[in-house]
Amino acid sequence: MDYFIVSLLNGLIYGLLLFMVSAGLTLVFGMMGILNFAHASFYMLGAYAAYALQPVIGFWWAVVVATVLVGGVGVVTERYFLRPVHKYGHAHELLLTFGLSFIIAELVKLFFGNYPVNYRVPQALSFSAFHVGPSAYPFYRLLIGLVAIAMFVLIYLLLTRTRVGIIVRAAIRRPAMAGALGHNVPVVFMAVFGVGAALAGLAGAIAGAFYTTSPNMAIELAVMMFVVVVIGGLGSLEGALLASLIIGLSTSFSVGVDVSLAQVLAYVGMGDWARGIGGLLTLKLSSLSGTIPYALMLLVLLIRPYGLMGAKE
Amino acid sequence: MNRRFLLVGLLVVIALVAAPLVMSQSLINAGIQMLIASLFACAFSLLCGQAGMLSFGHSAFFGAGAFATVHAMDAMGGAGLLPTPFMPLVGAVTGLLVGLVAGWFATKRTGVYFAMITLAIGELLYALAPHLSGWFGGEAGLSTMRMPAFGLSFADNVQVYYLTLAWVLLCLGLLYLFMRTPLGRVALGLRENTHRMRFFGYNVHVASTLVFAISTMFSGVAGALQAINIESANYVIFNLDLSAQVLLNSYIGGVTYFLGPAVGAALMSFFGYVVSDLTTSWLLYQGLLFVLVMLFMPRGIAGLVHAVAQALRRCGFARLWRAFALYLGATALLVAGTTFLVELLQRLFSQDYRALSQIGGNAWPDIPLFGASWAPLSVLTWLLPVLLLTAGIWLLARAARHWRRALALAAPDDDSPATTGGGRLVSGASS
Amino acid sequence: MSIHVVVKPLVLCAALSMVGMTTQAEPLKIAIVETLSGPQASTGLMFRDATRYAINKINDEGGWNGEPIKLLEYDSQGTPAGAAEKLKAAIADGAQMVVQGASSAIAGQLSEDIRKYDIRNPGKEVLYLNVGAEAMELTGSKCHFHAFRFAGNSDNSVKALVDAMKAANVLGTKVYSMNQNYSWGADMQAAIHREAEQGGYEVVGEMLHDVNKIQDFSPYVQKIAASGAQTVITGNWSNDLLLLMKSAKASGLNVRFATTFLDQPGNLANAGHVALGAYVVHPFDAEANDSAGAAFSEDFKSKVGHYPVYVEPQTVFGLEMVGQALKAVEPEDGKLNINKLALAIEDTTLNTPVGEWRMRADDHQILLPMVVSEVTTEAKFKVDDTDMGFQPVQLLSGAEAEAPVQDTCKMKRPA
Repeated sequence: MDYFIVSLLNGLIYGLLLFMVSAGLTLVFGMMGILNFAHASFYMLGAYAAYALQPVIGFWWAVVVATVLVGGVGVVTERYFLRPVHKYGHAHELLLTFGLSFIIAELVKLFFGNYPVNYRVPQALSFSAFHVGPSAYPFYRLLIGLVAIAMFVLIYLLLTRTRVGIIVRAAIRRPAMAGALGHNVPVVFMAVFGVGAALAGLAGAIAGAFYTTSPNMAIELAVMMFVVVVIGGLGSLEGALLASLIIGLSTSFSVGVDVSLAQVLAYVGMGDWARGIGGLLTLKLSSLSGTIPYALMLLVLLIRPYGLMGAKE
Repeated sequence: MNRRFLLVGLLVVIALVAAPLVMSQSLINAGIQMLIASLFACAFSLLCGQAGMLSFGHSAFFGAGAFATVHAMDAMGGAGLLPTPFMPLVGAVTGLLVGLVAGWFATKRTGVYFAMITLAIGELLYALAPHLSGWFGGEAGLSTMRMPAFGLSFADNVQVYYLTLAWVLLCLGLLYLFMRTPLGRVALGLRENTHRMRFFGYNVHVASTLVFAISTMFSGVAGALQAINIESANYVIFNLDLSAQVLLNSYIGGVTYFLGPAVGAALMSFFGYVVSDLTTSWLLYQGLLFVLVMLFMPRGIAGLVHAVAQALRRCGFARLWRAFALYLGATALLVAGTTFLVELLQRLFSQDYRALSQIGGNAWPDIPLFGASWAPLSVLTWLLPVLLLTAGIWLLARAARHWRRALALAAPDDDSPATTGGGRLVSGASS
Repeated sequence: MSIHVVVKPLVLCAALSMVGMTTQAEPLKIAIVETLSGPQASTGLMFRDATRYAINKINDEGGWNGEPIKLLEYDSQGTPAGAAEKLKAAIADGAQMVVQGASSAIAGQLSEDIRKYDIRNPGKEVLYLNVGAEAMELTGSKCHFHAFRFAGNSDNSVKALVDAMKAANVLGTKVYSMNQNYSWGADMQAAIHREAEQGGYEVVGEMLHDVNKIQDFSPYVQKIAASGAQTVITGNWSNDLLLLMKSAKASGLNVRFATTFLDQPGNLANAGHVALGAYVVHPFDAEANDSAGAAFSEDFKSKVGHYPVYVEPQTVFGLEMVGQALKAVEPEDGKLNINKLALAIEDTTLNTPVGEWRMRADDHQILLPMVVSEVTTEAKFKVDDTDMGFQPVQLLSGAEAEAPVQDTCKMKRPA
């Protein structure tokens, strides 16, 4: 039972972390049709910015300033890099963000070196929240989850209940019409991109302290973000939340499942045959827990391509 | 136009055939890599540029061809299933079959979803391959040896070069001919408007799958050539890196032209080969190059060459040489400035430098670069790249102005709308 | 002045200099084909720096045949295909030995390529010096006469760890094996099982997890907690090790970590005090043999800028051994006979600051002393600008740490 509770909590928190990182990506895609390959790089920039600022202004201020800085980088990216290539089509924008992700990763390596850096959770926050059986549950993990939930609520309210939100949603659906009505659509796009980047930066600043902060953290998270966004539905915030939770929980629980397909087939008497074939059939699910998200993504794409909660085009 | 193009093509082929006689061993090795990358890029561009389906997992088919070829080379106790010069056929067949299956599923969707499916297939294969050591040899990969055939030992690189050259030329020729077939034309239609194709009566799904399979077939040949070249295959081939590389190469070369991706792949391959041994920041340069090409040369290098050729035809060299000179000068200055700045920063922030500053008493020791020593605290050190970059940008602006003026003053051409009265007004004001 | 007076001496000079050029010795070239860019560059750069230090040291002592040895550097870009290409470039540039260590996959590629090249080009052989790749098969099924491994492998690492921790009474009786799901992890797992009887422990659980993909190790920590293990033996590196240890500490799991790669730079800085009490097995520790290690460490630091850690000492010692073997080989026509050098390496013993290094002729695996250290705040040499360092617990000699030759190695020796 303890195992179940801890796995559940871990899965939820990991899912919420994934959501924090992918929220910006799905928003940007829904709004501008750009699949931003540099989004994971913004995550990494947030972590490094917070690391660089922490000794100067303390942890909390470092997180805030890092978020704003990365948002600024996002705004500059949209204005000077993406807007000029907008007319060449989505493929071009995507490739440009791809090139940008390379440049950002190399610049980080240039200034901060190739090794992981010493970005750690401040002493004041590294205590345990409660105990589940013999294991302690660290408070910082809960903090990550809380920040993610707060982020979701804020953005949701912003989009659905405020005037700014209505303008943004109108600019998504009918940019030409919104422009004709007098709204500055390019500025809206720039702001949305900036907010998306800032969200990724916030996720990096918060999570980088708990997980490792190294120049490879963008690569590690990049593909997983796309998996979340695709499963959830490109453009849907609720879908991203749902998909992140599914991936987080499945990754968490599958670690405990030491069962392979051969063992399952043993129940129908084909165990020896399966073991004889070897390969895929004898792989334990626990060894493949990192691979499950890709299988899920493929499944969703084939059966329901617009994702769990995406809109049919 | 066609005859001139054929003449240039013939000259290029002759140069490629004669190359090993004058090139060093290292350059021959680089040449083999460039040829393989060119073929892979052209095969990829068939799907991406001609049929408009952006694929993120094409390395899967390259890898499938490579592994199948290694297995074929190891077959029958090491003697090989086919004589060495015919081995790429194994890659072709594998690429075709795997492509038919993968393509059937992938082409059910279009646009971003198609790209995501190919990404998922590639990532799944990359994740599962190391576990299937029977097929993929675990993380050490599979190793094999080229067997002599038809009196040739294939023991040295020159013979491998000619084999690769022959196959690449053959496949490029076949790809070009494919474009002329009805299916090749249908591929263009798939890029433009699938909805309309359906109304014409074409089965879009079947057509897409077939085009996908042709593209993967040639990717498989490229993979086979790679396996023959390095006599091994490793599952890291399935990594997103290789798919990304071929994407980069194709777009830098220009996907709207047939040989654009080949040019892009050859250039980037050579760039990586040469620059990677000169500096550890070469990935940064590659990224910068890519972003600059995307921003300022949307049709790629081939597009640039085409635009220059068109301009030459319209204006003649006499009017344009000044602009050329200025552009070249600007490029040289910008490259020098950027390289200097990046290398200086890289050394300044490196661990070695930090350690060096701790050893000696000086907190900011001089940095040796390009044969001279630069003091990091001196203004001159930073002024140099700034000056180079500013001068480069200024020259670039002047070059652009000269170019526009030359184009505007040239005799108007039938197919170019740029030299209407509006164009003349604009460029007249800027001089 | 007659033209003959001017021309004859000139012609004579020219002739003499040409003769001089033909009898002038060609410098010996050693190539390093390493991952110098990309995600895994950090380790590759360490191998390169250590190689530079070692070659400079050999050249300070006279080089070979009166000429300094030339070091050629190539970037394999982190892939076996890239390494294969750069190997060809290195051989084309005249390299007679190739140094590499950062990845077992690349090591396998290079070892095989060099074996094939040597078969095809007798008389122009090239030697492969593996200074870091620890996969068992490199001195097992893939062993060959022209390859030498100057690093430990999973078998002797685990043996050293188990013996030292048992002697220090910190091993316990319940051990969990946590490793990555690829050949290295599988080798580690097999070694942990093999040592169970000798070490007096029971393997209460084992796991092979995805390599470098897992961000959240808490489910794995859960499993360790549920098994009741007292020690976790792991061959994990980089993120997989750091996140595992941080996750274990965050859950309050009271378990001792016995690792092989904790001394990778950046690990202690990132882990913080989570790492205190963990054990690591490595080929060198500056405090291990009283002052001998300190002298080497200080010299390394004065030339390279930091104390030698992680893979650097073994690279230096391995190349020093090759340097010593070179002294025993006379040039033939100004050139180096690689087969003679290989035989000389088999006969060489090197006195390193931590003990004697000897090459085993059966499989070309080096027999090296291993140091088992604990992470404490009392170590003399602090790491990563933290207050912690690696304090040696036990130094095992080459004989004590030796693991048997693998059956799969069938080395063909030249006639």
